[in-house]
Amino acid sequence: MTFGHISESMKAIFYFFLLLISPMIWAQTLLTGEVRDQKSETIPGVNVYLKGTYTGTSSEIDGSFKLEVEESGLHILVFQSMGFRALEIEVNLQGGKLEFFPILKESINEMTAVTISAGAMEASDEKRAVVLRPVDIVTVPSAMGDIIGAFQTLPGTANVGNDGRLFVRGGDATETAIFIDGLKVGNAFGTTASNVPTRTRFNPNLFKGSFFSTGGYSAEYGQALSSALALNTVDFPVRNQGDISFMSVGGGYTQTLTGEKNSLTASANYFDLSPYQAMIKQNFDWERAPFGWDAEVSGRQKWGKNGVIKAYAHTEASGMKIWQPIPGSDERGQLVGVQNQYTFAQTSFRQLGENDWSYYGGISYSNNVDKFDIGRMEMRNQNQLVHSKLAAIKGFSEKFSVKTGFESYLFNYEEALISEDLKRDFRDHHSILFSEADYYVNNRLVFRGGIRAGHSSLAGQSWLDPRISLAYKFDHDGQLSLAAGQFSQMPVEQLRVLEQSTQNTRADHLILNYFLVKNGRTVRAEAFYKDYKNLITYEVAQLFPMPLGFDNIQQNGEGYARGVDIFYRDQKSFKNTDFWVTYSFVDSRRKFAHFTEMVQPGFAPRHNGSIVVKHFISSLKSQLGVSLSANDGYTYENPNLPGQMNAKTKSFQDLSLGWSYLPKPNLIIHLACSNVLGRDNIFGYQYANEPNENGLYEGNPIRLQAPRFLFLGIFLTLSKDKTANNLNNL
Amino acid sequence: MKKYSLAIIVMMLISLMTYASNEAYEKAMLKELQNMKTATSPEDLKKVANGFARIAQMAEEEWLPDYYAALALANAGFRSEGGANVKDPLFDQAKKHAEKAAKISPNNSEVVALQGFITMGELAVDPASRGQHLSSLAMQTFGKAVELNRQNPRAVMMLGQMEMGMAQFFGQGPEKACGLVDASLALFAKEAAEAKEGNLNPTWGKAMAEEMKKNTCK
Repeated sequence: MTFGHISESMKAIFYFFLLLISPMIWAQTLLTGEVRDQKSETIPGVNVYLKGTYTGTSSEIDGSFKLEVEESGLHILVFQSMGFRALEIEVNLQGGKLEFFPILKESINEMTAVTISAGAMEASDEKRAVVLRPVDIVTVPSAMGDIIGAFQTLPGTANVGNDGRLFVRGGDATETAIFIDGLKVGNAFGTTASNVPTRTRFNPNLFKGSFFSTGGYSAEYGQALSSALALNTVDFPVRNQGDISFMSVGGGYTQTLTGEKNSLTASANYFDLSPYQAMIKQNFDWERAPFGWDAEVSGRQKWGKNGVIKAYAHTEASGMKIWQPIPGSDERGQLVGVQNQYTFAQTSFRQLGENDWSYYGGISYSNNVDKFDIGRMEMRNQNQLVHSKLAAIKGFSEKFSVKTGFESYLFNYEEALISEDLKRDFRDHHSILFSEADYYVNNRLVFRGGIRAGHSSLAGQSWLDPRISLAYKFDHDGQLSLAAGQFSQMPVEQLRVLEQSTQNTRADHLILNYFLVKNGRTVRAEAFYKDYKNLITYEVAQLFPMPLGFDNIQQNGEGYARGVDIFYRDQKSFKNTDFWVTYSFVDSRRKFAHFTEMVQPGFAPRHNGSIVVKHFISSLKSQLGVSLSANDGYTYENPNLPGQMNAKTKSFQDLSLGWSYLPKPNLIIHLACSNVLGRDNIFGYQYANEPNENGLYEGNPIRLQAPRFLFLGIFLTLSKDKTANNLNNL
Repeated sequence: MKKYSLAIIVMMLISLMTYASNEAYEKAMLKELQNMKTATSPEDLKKVANGFARIAQMAEEEWLPDYYAALALANAGFRSEGGANVKDPLFDQAKKHAEKAAKISPNNSEVVALQGFITMGELAVDPASRGQHLSSLAMQTFGKAVELNRQNPRAVMMLGQMEMGMAQFFGQGPEKACGLVDASLALFAKEAAEAKEGNLNPTWGKAMAEEMKKNTCK
């Protein structure tokens, strides 16, 4: 090593350091200016900094900023603020003063951006612009723990007490399709005898949220003329726990096990109304009160970083035997026995992919077997459905995304008159392609367009249903949405099996909606027009007491439903009180079934209203609930009078009370009573097939099984976390 | 030989630069921590959060800058006047920073406790409609934070705070909650005794514990 070498090395180091230090020696640059948004309003709190350095500042209340930097040369100046897209400007720092007046563009914020609310009522904990929380559903007194019972207090629905299913805007109950995690549920309601109301088969605690649409819904849903109800199951339960329930009508146990990446819930329940009916006098003449059991298992597994697989299986069996009176006869009537076996199983997945792709899909299987014993007749119906779906969403930018999916539906229906050794059946396969694009112009305006194309192998029919919607959000946070679309649905199985060439029935929707959620208050008003085409018409050999001998099945029916509904919810005005008020006006007339002219259907009362009030009293550790539902009565056909659908019942009114008591964090005692005032509600009349000696058709009123229904439930949660209770699952 | 000396010089330079960047990081952190101490208004807290966000983009392997950005935004949310449309965006942004911190440092009791603190903030915006869902979520999150590190005074203190709310709601005595508050105060004292000059790790929360002690646990 020579001296010269060292001095050369030293020189190199010296120059190197000089290079490093030199910018500091040169000069400071002063960056100043003002940040504004697209409306020229100043933005405070903007992060202004040189990328890749610690140097930066924030804009003041008036949007101005001042930043002295020691760096020099080419740099990138970043402006970053919540709710705006970051702006990067290349700057050349050479000392002196530089001025900037950047305008930041707003970014699409999924929490605050406009959403399409036409027709939609969402219950969720995750999104903020929702009508209800899942917990609100179970605590509606008149619902008696049934999801559908709670939806009957929402706008657009009609309470048809002798049926129990969901009737939406002049549509019958079959016009509502129910989906769990995006997959169709066949026979979602329990099988029952005529005029004995049914319930949904599924426990409300299964679901973390629901999306209930009374029209104009997404191209993702089809085979429903009026309404889609999408229920989403809980993703991951929060803890290991056991839930025990004792009820006046039965009991059950649920065990939940949770792991890091998976969870398992298993549940078994039994109900029998015999003891209850032995204590409380019934209108109906039961030979065997309704009874049944169900068991279900659901599992979840996380996979990879962003994937979830869910599996769920539910199986149940139930039965009842009832004496149904024959109009004009004093005898006990006809003995009707019903036995039902039902299985629903599904598995679904969700996966976030690379480059703003995401995927979801699954497969579901529903199998429903009914056995009816009516007098000496023995019948068996079996309805099977396999639904599979595969969909992908691609976000092209924060403003534009497209969802596309394939679906396959396999229908298999069979009915047999065992006593006569007769059998008939049909199979149908639907192939579906749907695609839907969302375009956000900005946080205030969104457009959605979709198409749903389908083909039925049995009907030999192909169809294309276009749907469009748009929404605009005002300065005051209220938003206006418009939705329009075509909806197709095959007729009910019982008629398709008779006339296998039937084609889709059709409905066109037009909906205008105003929606505002602000400071604990919700206002929702909606006007709608629905046009029905190709409805099924037929002739019957016998109309009373129930239609029999269908003939000349055609699709000449048509009709409309139009109206307005209003919903107001307030959680703010009164302390510890949450209430909502609903009014729905429906003007519906249709030519369908055996009617040869346009009539107002029996399931479409014109004026419908409900009030639900819940009040929490801390000192009593109790929530008290009141719900009041009323409508102006149901139309029915009286053969003693001229014309079709020529009579109307008196108004339906129901006042229900509920009391939930939480003596301990893990114990809930719930007591509810429907129709507290004992009003004699009548849903129509059932007439004799032949007139009596005076030439009059004698009729029996269709009533509820009992004036009141009393429900007592005790729900106990066992877990290490003593504050857990049943409601926490929601 | 020439080769070696060059290699040594390069290595020295690299270590010098790393030292310089560490020093710059620590200096920037201490400066913002100082700012955070004096910030009281939501506006000042937002500026502090901006400062930590700037550090975060420089020190991508450190969880503390995102942690403090989230904490400053959560405090801005708690202290803001106005309704959900003012507070929710702050808590949303806080959540994003907390998630980033959790990704950098998984299963970190401090980060999990902060996530629970943000959930408490969201709950406070609208207790009537968010209480049922979020109180159980907050409780669960604090439970997890305590499980991850039983010596974390903030996790213990906030679990105590949730217990206190629960006990009041069900008309039970505050004994269990106060036990947790006392335990947290002991942990805070220990933390203060052990803290060294230039410490960057979280030390906040003692005042909240003392407040609870004074008001409810006499």
